[in-house]
Amino acid sequence: MIARMRRVFINSHGCSSALKLLARCLLLLAAGITMLSMTGCHGHLVGILNPKGLVAYEERRLFFDTLALMLIVVLPVIVMSFTFVYHYQVSHRVKEYKPNWSHSIFLESLWWGIPCVIILVLAILTWKKTYELDPYKQIAGSGQPPLLIQVIALPWKWLFIYPQQDIAAVNYLVLPKDQQVEFWITADNVPMSAFFIPQLGSQIYTMAGMRSRLHLLASQTGNYDGMNTQYNGAGFSDMHFPVQVVTADDMQKWIEQTRKSSIRLTPDVYNELLKPSIGDQPKYFSGVAADLFKNVIDVYMNSLGTAHPRNIDGKFIQSKE
Amino acid sequence: MFAQLLFGNLTLDAIPFHSAIIMGAGFFMVLVAATAVFTITYYRKWSYIWHEWICSVDHKKIGIMYLMLSGLMLLRGFSDAVLMRSQQAIAAGNNLGYLPPEHYDQIFSAHGVIMIFFVAMPMMFALLNIAVPLQIGARDVAYPYLNSVSFWLTFVGAMLCNASLVIGDFAKTGWLAYPPLSELYYSPGVGVDYFIWSLQISGVGTLLAGINFIATIIKMRCKGMTLMRMPVFVWSALCSMILVALAFPVLTVTLALLFLDRMFGMHFFTDFAGGNVMMYINLIWVWGHPEVYILILPAFGVFSEVVATFSQKTLFGYTTMVWAIAIITFLSFIVWLHHFFTMGAGADVNTFFGIATMVIAIPTGVKVFNWLFTMYQGRIILATPMLWVTAFFTTFAIGGMTGVMMAVPPVDFQVHNSLFLVAHFHNVIIGGVLFGYFAGVIFWFPKAFGFRLDEKWGKWAFVFWVVGFYVAFMPLYVLGLNGFMRRVNHYTDTMYQPYFIVAAIGAAFIMIGIFLQIGQVIVSIKNRHKLRDATGDPWNGRTLEWSVASPAPFYNFAELPIVDSRDYFWEFKQKHLAEGLVHPKTMEFHPIHMPRNTSAGFIIAMFAGIAGFALIWHMWIPGIIGVTGMIVTMIARTFATDIDYYVDTETVRKTELAHLKEMINA
Repeated sequence: MIARMRRVFINSHGCSSALKLLARCLLLLAAGITMLSMTGCHGHLVGILNPKGLVAYEERRLFFDTLALMLIVVLPVIVMSFTFVYHYQVSHRVKEYKPNWSHSIFLESLWWGIPCVIILVLAILTWKKTYELDPYKQIAGSGQPPLLIQVIALPWKWLFIYPQQDIAAVNYLVLPKDQQVEFWITADNVPMSAFFIPQLGSQIYTMAGMRSRLHLLASQTGNYDGMNTQYNGAGFSDMHFPVQVVTADDMQKWIEQTRKSSIRLTPDVYNELLKPSIGDQPKYFSGVAADLFKNVIDVYMNSLGTAHPRNIDGKFIQSKE
Repeated sequence: MFAQLLFGNLTLDAIPFHSAIIMGAGFFMVLVAATAVFTITYYRKWSYIWHEWICSVDHKKIGIMYLMLSGLMLLRGFSDAVLMRSQQAIAAGNNLGYLPPEHYDQIFSAHGVIMIFFVAMPMMFALLNIAVPLQIGARDVAYPYLNSVSFWLTFVGAMLCNASLVIGDFAKTGWLAYPPLSELYYSPGVGVDYFIWSLQISGVGTLLAGINFIATIIKMRCKGMTLMRMPVFVWSALCSMILVALAFPVLTVTLALLFLDRMFGMHFFTDFAGGNVMMYINLIWVWGHPEVYILILPAFGVFSEVVATFSQKTLFGYTTMVWAIAIITFLSFIVWLHHFFTMGAGADVNTFFGIATMVIAIPTGVKVFNWLFTMYQGRIILATPMLWVTAFFTTFAIGGMTGVMMAVPPVDFQVHNSLFLVAHFHNVIIGGVLFGYFAGVIFWFPKAFGFRLDEKWGKWAFVFWVVGFYVAFMPLYVLGLNGFMRRVNHYTDTMYQPYFIVAAIGAAFIMIGIFLQIGQVIVSIKNRHKLRDATGDPWNGRTLEWSVASPAPFYNFAELPIVDSRDYFWEFKQKHLAEGLVHPKTMEFHPIHMPRNTSAGFIIAMFAGIAGFALIWHMWIPGIIGVTGMIVTMIARTFATDIDYYVDTETVRKTELAHLKEMINA
């Protein structure tokens, strides 16, 4: 091998100016986004940042706790990366230069140790909160028995059945304030979807032939947005539904009113709902066919052969907008 | 009957003549291809292209071809991104935008597939091919012919994916094609079949390349280079390729099962008749999670090389670096379930996978601190590769932070599937993987091409890319926290619109960045004599690849090096600079054993492409031709005896002396 002379070709003047320009741009950007968030802010936050239910509230707190824990490491990294790069540039002619310094037991134990401690704290927190906020578990400390609502994701709309009240609604969900709600969730004739009301709490997948469960507890009356979060075909973007959280009295009134609806959710009516459609207006049903939810799951559980249980031709009807 | 066997389901209706956007894009692709063909014919370069490139088994040339493929596909993938950003910036309130779901859904699916499989993976293999054999003091990879097969299979996969733009359509399922949406019942068209076969073919190519590099790194290191003396980039490549060898078979099997479901009416993943949808989602992420580490580990390797070189200082904590990579390699296999906490698996399962995910942050953090302290008390030269590293620290730290936050299952219950997630993984994949690869490409560009890239254009490209990245993706975090989901085509609440407009502006900045990078390449080619790297060591490098000429001679090393330390070349320079140059007359040259070029790799891949296209359209005759052609070529190749030769001493002497002369004159 041959030793050779070389020269460092880079003229480091242009560089720090590029870096400064970059820093300036990013600062401007940060300011811009903050301003943007401020202007449209209050009353307009509809996600985790503006929780209206117990679960969502806990999740927001956990979100910020985790953020704070992570910032303990992340902030120093960001600060160090900028100061080191700036300070030790060749053009700054810093005296200290240790080209062969590459090992320090003290320093290395420090940055194995500190992240370990932070992750340990975070792991304990995670363990505790994951059990506490398990969507399948009843929310502790709420006296009344939960209200059961069965949810069926249909081709680009939602069906909500209140079995104890014997009523049902499409694309419209009414929940009582301060009473725990237990959702049983499945899907029918639609690919895997996910049921989510951001301001109330967790989301969970809805799958045909399976029952997933979710417990939520709304703590403020109001009108919230519910949605599907899992992309499931052409009608995905419109799979939203309004959620009304009302007082117990208003809830009772709504139930009475819905019971007066002339349409019953018979198997025939349900079969109509199985047809793909986008952006359906709310519909209300008095009376629900017995064991509808269970039967929907059974259709998939017990299906045999090659044909999809919901269409003998094996064709999912694609709807054109 | 015959027509059915020959053309299967393919008819002229498969070409969307009515869609201006698609036909325009298709026309543009054809135009580019035609221009290339015309130029090659005009300059009579077909023979050169065939013998020197298409049939080449030289790892450096294969690396360059990977790089070109990656660059071209980046343009395609980024066009998809621009379409999505503009659609979402427009489609608020009653406005449905200009892309109906049937197009839009293909675009986001194609964007993901292309960016991961045909931009990031080829760019990684470009870097591996260019740098790894040189860094370990080898003359080529362990199986040069297999290397050619790997590249051409990847190429064919990418071309199949591109063909779907004009002939038929692409999957409308998202980039991982979750069933039951990807099953025949919900997706009866050819889209998912294009997805399956472009990934199957390129996936096999990737697996072969992975095995090839494992063998290369284990068996082909020069004398004295023990495992713990390997450059960190080689370590990261080794671990990444081990992940490839373990994870890609899972992808192959998963896609094969999905294919059986669709082609033969089986029920592995259907939502009825006993199929198990969740099995697919588990399997695809058993591959998919290691996949992101396959991508990021080599980027970590690049950072290690670049930080040490441009700080003019030994890499801090080499041993911890290696252990950190090894731990990440292991952990990346036991965290896949964090992609679907919302499945309803229960708190036991979610807790385990959540905590396992967080633990990855520890070795990753260690690596970041080691890089920071490599810079500490160094002499930092802010050349473009180092600028990319600087931007990486902040960007990756933010991305890693949001990643750990989503590893907490209850937090994930809120942000899963939202734009928060989209912002997170772009934050780590652009800020980590892409910035790293850009640094690597600029760093090793002289070694592959013989001249440096223009610094001024490179710096401007850097500024626009970084600013563009933050402008495009920070609003997505806010949107995600405000309950906005991914893959949404239009929305009624106009309060989201300003954020999307800002994001679209960011995409425009990135576009300018990409144009500047194209400009950088053009300007550099124009000024290649001025930017010529005569010494072979443009950055005052530390490892073996800088000890040979630029571009590296086809045999790499006239004499295989013998090393006795980690930064052998750096220490060698320190020792011998004082003594002066070795006199050329004392140098001895020997004949060098080299593999012969072969067209077999290209031919096998072309047959694989025919077979894949035939399977997509159910064409029996071309299918049989494709599969038979592949097998026959493979067997025929095993009978080839003239597969290697010796480079004579005179050629080696001439090449080496020419380099010496140029170096002395420089």
